[in-house]
Amino acid sequence: MRPALLALVLCFASLAVAAGADHDRDLDSRGVFQVIAKAPAKWRALKNPYEGQPDAIAAGEKLFRQHCAECHGDDALGRGRAANLHIGGVQNATPGELAWFLRSGNLPHGMPPWAGIPEQRRWQIIAYIKSLPLNISPRT
Amino acid sequence: MSAYKPRVRSRGSRLAALFRTTILLLPCVLTLSVICPSAAAQETPYFVAYSHHLEEPGNLEIEAYSIYGTQKGGPDFIAPWMEFEYGVTAWWITELYIDTQHTFGGTDRTVFTGTRFENRFRPLMHEHWINPVLYVEFENTTGADKTLKEVVGTDTQFDAAEPNSEVNREHEHEVETKLILSSDYKGWNISENFIGEKNLGHEPWEFGYAVGVSRPLRLEATPRPCNLCRENFVVGAEMYGGLGTAKAFSLSGTSHYVAPIVSWQLPNGVTFSLSPGFGLNDNSHRFLLRWGMSYEVEGFGRKVRNLFR
Repeated sequence: MRPALLALVLCFASLAVAAGADHDRDLDSRGVFQVIAKAPAKWRALKNPYEGQPDAIAAGEKLFRQHCAECHGDDALGRGRAANLHIGGVQNATPGELAWFLRSGNLPHGMPPWAGIPEQRRWQIIAYIKSLPLNISPRT
Repeated sequence: MSAYKPRVRSRGSRLAALFRTTILLLPCVLTLSVICPSAAAQETPYFVAYSHHLEEPGNLEIEAYSIYGTQKGGPDFIAPWMEFEYGVTAWWITELYIDTQHTFGGTDRTVFTGTRFENRFRPLMHEHWINPVLYVEFENTTGADKTLKEVVGTDTQFDAAEPNSEVNREHEHEVETKLILSSDYKGWNISENFIGEKNLGHEPWEFGYAVGVSRPLRLEATPRPCNLCRENFVVGAEMYGGLGTAKAFSLSGTSHYVAPIVSWQLPNGVTFSLSPGFGLNDNSHRFLLRWGMSYEVEGFGRKVRNLFR
């Protein structure tokens, strides 16, 4: 029993190490923007019901810190290769494109789908992202 | 088997044992919640059913769960287990379980019952109306394992009534597979699992099912951080049971359960869950109570990798 357990634990640890490397490599901003551009037309036209509402932006910021800041950073400037959310590729996307991307994710590039978060909360996150200033350079 | 005479224990001593188990597991998770940065996952509250939502890549979720069960013809039991769930990629998670069990009365009352190693994969790279996930698990457990993480074949409460001193000598090597189908609609999650389990000791395939439904109490988030607000509570129910074996695929002789669930997901990454379960026929345990807590460690993979740099 003990050697089997030890083997499992070692296997688990090595996967974790390997995945740490993959995690950084896979969060590729260019891949994110290519996927956003593939949003279906019916999604592209969607309006954010919370757009510009201060309470929704504050709620979106809270949700962003809970779910997104881990990869994109508290300031949304990107971390590792996770996208900087201030740049044009994100800020010029329509709310509907961002809603589609948030729901679908980009599994091959490390962005999980966030369909498990209720739609209302995803719109609140988008309201916050759209309130970010445009074109701030990522950290060096 | 019939010579097994458990000592009669008062309800007070049972509660004390439940309390002790919880107290032993609490510090592990709470210490982690203080020293490690956390992240909030998009979790469904199920104990038995699985949804298509996987652990975020690079995160480790540490979970401490327990089940308390009553049974005819045998003493009540409590089976605590730990889960270490790691997001390898956005479409693949791996998980290690460590199972234990305590039976009230009798000999060899507290036993280690084995380990399980599980992997889940999302074969489709986009979100759909129904999202499939493939689940493969290798179990290296003893006959005394009572975590009841799944009910398959003709598993009944009478299997669990045998004394630990006998059944803990039986080693079971099993492969468990699941087809998980899961959907999200207007805040609801609906998950269906079809289970096939094979004991590698030349026994036939056994089948089972689990279905879960859940929804947050409030769909919108409030602007201010809060702990005791409706948006942090998820309620739901699950139903699960056996479907016979490859030789006799039927409901005859199987056991089935229904269990409401409530989960409290704190913004700091700690989640508490509770689920009373009720047996639906004479083969089922009359009452099961599951509870537990989990904590999500942010960027675990990156930290481990940095140790080796």
